[in-house]
Amino acid sequence: MMLLMHELRLLSRQRLPVIALALLALLTVIALALGTAEVKRQREAIAAIWTAHAEDIGAVADHVELSHDAGSAAYYSFHPTWDAPSRLAFAALGMRDVSPYILRVRALGLEAQIYDGDTFNPELALAGRFDFAFVLVFLAPLFVIALFHDLVSGEQEAGRGRLLEALSGGGRTLWRRRGALRLVLLWAALGLPFTLAAAMNGAGAAATLIVLAVVLAYLLFWVVLAAWVNQLRWSSAANAATLASAWLLLVLVIPALANVAINMAVPIHQGAEIALAQREEVNRAWDIPREDTMRRFYARHPEWSGSAPLGPEFHYKWYLAFHQNGDESVASRVHDYRNSLEARDRAARALGWLLPSVGVQSLLMRMARTDLSAQLRYQDRIRVFHRRLRTFYYGYLFEDRPFSRGDFGRAPRFGGDT
Amino acid sequence: MSTVTLIARDELRLLVRNRVAIIGIALLLMLTLAAVASAWAHQRGIAELRSRHAHAAEAAFDAQPDRHPHRMVHYGTFIFRPLGPLAAFDPGVDAFTGNSMFLEGHRQNTANFGDVRQSSVLIRFGQLTPATVLQAVAPLLLIFLGYGVLARETERGTLRMLMLQGVKRRQIVLGKLLALSVVAMAAGLPAMLGLVAVIGQPGASALPMVVIATAYGAYLALWAVVIALVSACVDRSRDALLVLTALWAISTILLPRAAADLASAAVPLSNRLQTDVAIARDLRAMGDSHDPDDPHFAAFKQSVLDRYGANRVEDLPVNYKGVVAMEGERMTSSLFNRYAGTAFNAQARQNALVDMIGLLSPVIALRSLSMTAAGTDLDGHRRFLEQAEAYRYALVQRLNAMQAEDVSYADDIATDPGADRRKRVSAERWRAVAGFRFAAPSGAALACAALPGLAVVLGWLVVAVGLLGLAARRLGAG
Repeated sequence: MMLLMHELRLLSRQRLPVIALALLALLTVIALALGTAEVKRQREAIAAIWTAHAEDIGAVADHVELSHDAGSAAYYSFHPTWDAPSRLAFAALGMRDVSPYILRVRALGLEAQIYDGDTFNPELALAGRFDFAFVLVFLAPLFVIALFHDLVSGEQEAGRGRLLEALSGGGRTLWRRRGALRLVLLWAALGLPFTLAAAMNGAGAAATLIVLAVVLAYLLFWVVLAAWVNQLRWSSAANAATLASAWLLLVLVIPALANVAINMAVPIHQGAEIALAQREEVNRAWDIPREDTMRRFYARHPEWSGSAPLGPEFHYKWYLAFHQNGDESVASRVHDYRNSLEARDRAARALGWLLPSVGVQSLLMRMARTDLSAQLRYQDRIRVFHRRLRTFYYGYLFEDRPFSRGDFGRAPRFGGDT
Repeated sequence: MSTVTLIARDELRLLVRNRVAIIGIALLLMLTLAAVASAWAHQRGIAELRSRHAHAAEAAFDAQPDRHPHRMVHYGTFIFRPLGPLAAFDPGVDAFTGNSMFLEGHRQNTANFGDVRQSSVLIRFGQLTPATVLQAVAPLLLIFLGYGVLARETERGTLRMLMLQGVKRRQIVLGKLLALSVVAMAAGLPAMLGLVAVIGQPGASALPMVVIATAYGAYLALWAVVIALVSACVDRSRDALLVLTALWAISTILLPRAAADLASAAVPLSNRLQTDVAIARDLRAMGDSHDPDDPHFAAFKQSVLDRYGANRVEDLPVNYKGVVAMEGERMTSSLFNRYAGTAFNAQARQNALVDMIGLLSPVIALRSLSMTAAGTDLDGHRRFLEQAEAYRYALVQRLNAMQAEDVSYADDIATDPGADRRKRVSAERWRAVAGFRFAAPSGAALACAALPGLAVVLGWLVVAVGLLGLAARRLGAG
């Protein structure tokens, strides 16, 4: 303990480590503040949904009151869905800046709606977010390099190396003690602000502890790498250059190369093809006998087949039926598309076992539920909700029940947080 | 041979003997070539895919059977944003924006299926393109090769020996700078191959390429000067390396992200739900075509009747339903344009903030000017969206006009069994509708838009050269 305090005093007299640690702590605090503010903004946007929705539905209700037609209600009513940020999202905002977290859907063809995006500035998205995950994955290793590249070589260059190694309790023990101290200080610079932010955001003890462990493990990886380079007994400058090159490769170059490789290995039939095919199927309905459409629909959904036959006039049940036929006609493409997306994601996560940078980033995004699988799960929830919407409106349309103002309140509501 | 070239040659000879340096240069070369090849293949692949999709969508539109024009308004059309040839050098935001759009009546859809939502987490680590290699990787290699140029001489006392032999400080600094510039050129050259590959492409114009080549050249020269400057100012080469690496990390890794995050926090964007609800609200305030007592549409109807001297819509020589559809589309479209303009202006303010921070980091200025010259920045996307909206509006109004002129009002409101047939217009009409053609901006316009960024990079270069001049005077004095 005495020795550690002594080492701490020695360290506090050096300019570089003190500045580096203070800077890392400052950057961590900034990243956490920005992340927390962004999550707050997203929560507020979600909370603001209902006021806007009530206004919108009120106007639709005024219009439907003239006809009491459930089809009009289904056609004009947009129903909000949302994907609330998790308690840990402030630490890794992940894909939430480019994927929508609020999406309104109608009871019409879902495949023409579910891939819609929200407004975002692509130039800002290109740069990426300044969140805790970024500070940890990209910046923290640079600080490890700054603090560890001359751990051994620095003393040698100062002429104290041999003396220190000859002392009892010197050599390896000394380097270990010094290394451990620096590692713990780096960990604290990242971990203490994070723990505070996690408590403020209500992230929970378990998640906080896991993230702290991940932070320590990731720092340890870089410390071990730095120690190994130190062992080669090169000059401090050569150590720093070697470590910075390793950083460049592990954090920038290999992930970018792997992205190209994965995208080539797992080609994705563009989602645009789903949208094109669905629209062909939907619009074809206007050119084929309406009975064919209904037969096909009833074959898949016999629960509605008792409905009265179509008259010569336009009826919304036919309209909604061909929209659903359109969705169902592209179901296998949708399945393939999703499988390819998941395959790309799996490949990237597999790479995470080899590349700590990728591994930590995807682990944090997974824990924060801001990764691709979280996006796909949100889409799943939208699909379930959309099925409920269809069933709700079909209950009026296929049984020719009038739709009144009070019925708008009976429409299913999205259970976003479940 | 002059002293300056001798010093430069000496420095380069030392470099060539350094095995690590040679490996570094070779790695950079390979990385750049990989980036050039992959960005090139990617650009070709995407451009080809999008043009194939665009042709398929156009053919599908043309092949539609006899239809009521309003059906075609809803059938709509798909368009795809073409990718310019310079995207092979700097794809900019292409992967981060949707590249296909469904255009239909009454609605303004989003551009969907951007790569960023179809790729793994790796895309957020940055893309490997000739532009990013030059922006981030090449400077770091330059630092590794050059941090010691002057600090090493100071550290070992060889600087003093040189000066005792009568070599002037200015000559030493110029010689070292010359050596660094040679290395910088070697580092930059392979990525410039990416530019050369673009030259033969249709639609490639020379001016933006000149701006890009100048900017990257100035940028690498700036790093060479900064490296010499830092190396001149510190006593130990290790300190030079640490300071330079820190400068690099701050300017290329930290500031661009911090700037983006600050900008998005400072200027919040309205989300689509709020915008859509606001548009619907404004539209209701303007008039409701479904409401027979609506004042706007009552006045509109009267004006149409007056124009044709008719008393009832049934007596009009045109189909009133088509005329109303045109008026409705005019109203919604004006709102779409207004709200889209507001959203774009907010994003432009965000980018202006980033550009302000770009005064602090030449990397930000370079990134932005590079995208601008390549036509792959936010403005390029905006051009696409605005042209798409103009095309959508013209298409829908043309179809509405067909309804007004070629479908009679009596047929349009008829519900008898044969009415559906009478409401349709001939399929030939669809083929007469021209497809969407993106009008790319001229090379001069792109080059001009990139000039402010170029000025920032050149300004930095001038300042750095001035500082180096000052540092050279004090060289070896410490």
